[in-house]
Amino acid sequence: MSGLRRFTRQESGALLAQFEPIEVDLLRLAAGQLVEMLDAGATDPALAQTDGVFGRLLPDAYRDDDEAAAEFRRFTATGLLERKAQNAQIVLNSLGTKHETGLDETVPGDTVPGETDLVTISLDPDAVQAWLRSLTDLRLTLADRLQISPDGVIHLVGEDAPFLRELYEWLGMLQEELVYTIDV
Amino acid sequence: MTKTAERTQLHEQVVLDRPWVTLVWDDPVNLMSYVAYVFRSYFGVTPKQAERLMLQVHNNGRAVVATGNRESMERHVEAMHGYGLWATLAKADE
Repeated sequence: MSGLRRFTRQESGALLAQFEPIEVDLLRLAAGQLVEMLDAGATDPALAQTDGVFGRLLPDAYRDDDEAAAEFRRFTATGLLERKAQNAQIVLNSLGTKHETGLDETVPGDTVPGETDLVTISLDPDAVQAWLRSLTDLRLTLADRLQISPDGVIHLVGEDAPFLRELYEWLGMLQEELVYTIDV
Repeated sequence: MTKTAERTQLHEQVVLDRPWVTLVWDDPVNLMSYVAYVFRSYFGVTPKQAERLMLQVHNNGRAVVATGNRESMERHVEAMHGYGLWATLAKADE
């Protein structure tokens, strides 16, 4: 993707995004897992209270008042998780169906002339908002898995760590590019 | 006389109605550009104000991003959680 702008604004207000097929697969995998996780949390409040990642997705609204924090959670958690799941589902939908190498008709969106490997995705303003929020939720989730401490240091070790770290950083780059494209 | 009384009453009402704040806290995940964007797009502040608030969060660990009654601060906190920002509410004098 070097030298290419990943996101470009259209006169209609929509954004066009260009990805390598492998990037689309990666985003689909990540967004799909996020949907599953959020759906599980939305339907099982007990899970949402025990799994650490939900603690960061839905932090205590009151720092020094456990009762008020629990009350706030009772009234907001399910709705927030449902909206977060909807956002991730919108990301998933905008990525289209599974890309099969050699089967052009299953490629989502249009390919760019001369750059037949790139997948182009059109995002309307609502989809852009869903992408911004979901990229954040994905990074918060990955930060929990990577055991990132408040000073930003990654503590996870093991064979998954390098891949998760790369994904975390790539999603951050993607979000930065998206913010700069819309925030002019 | 009336005016002073009215003013005092108004002042008290403002104090009673606005004793809560929404705080956004620094975290190692959210990008500075995104945090500034959220402040600008959700609270409708100017890019300069959004940048200043974001830097307060980044440098001081937190910033007061809104002041008002408890109900509206809870609404702001819920919205910030929707954006993935770490937000809390508290009484303004705490």
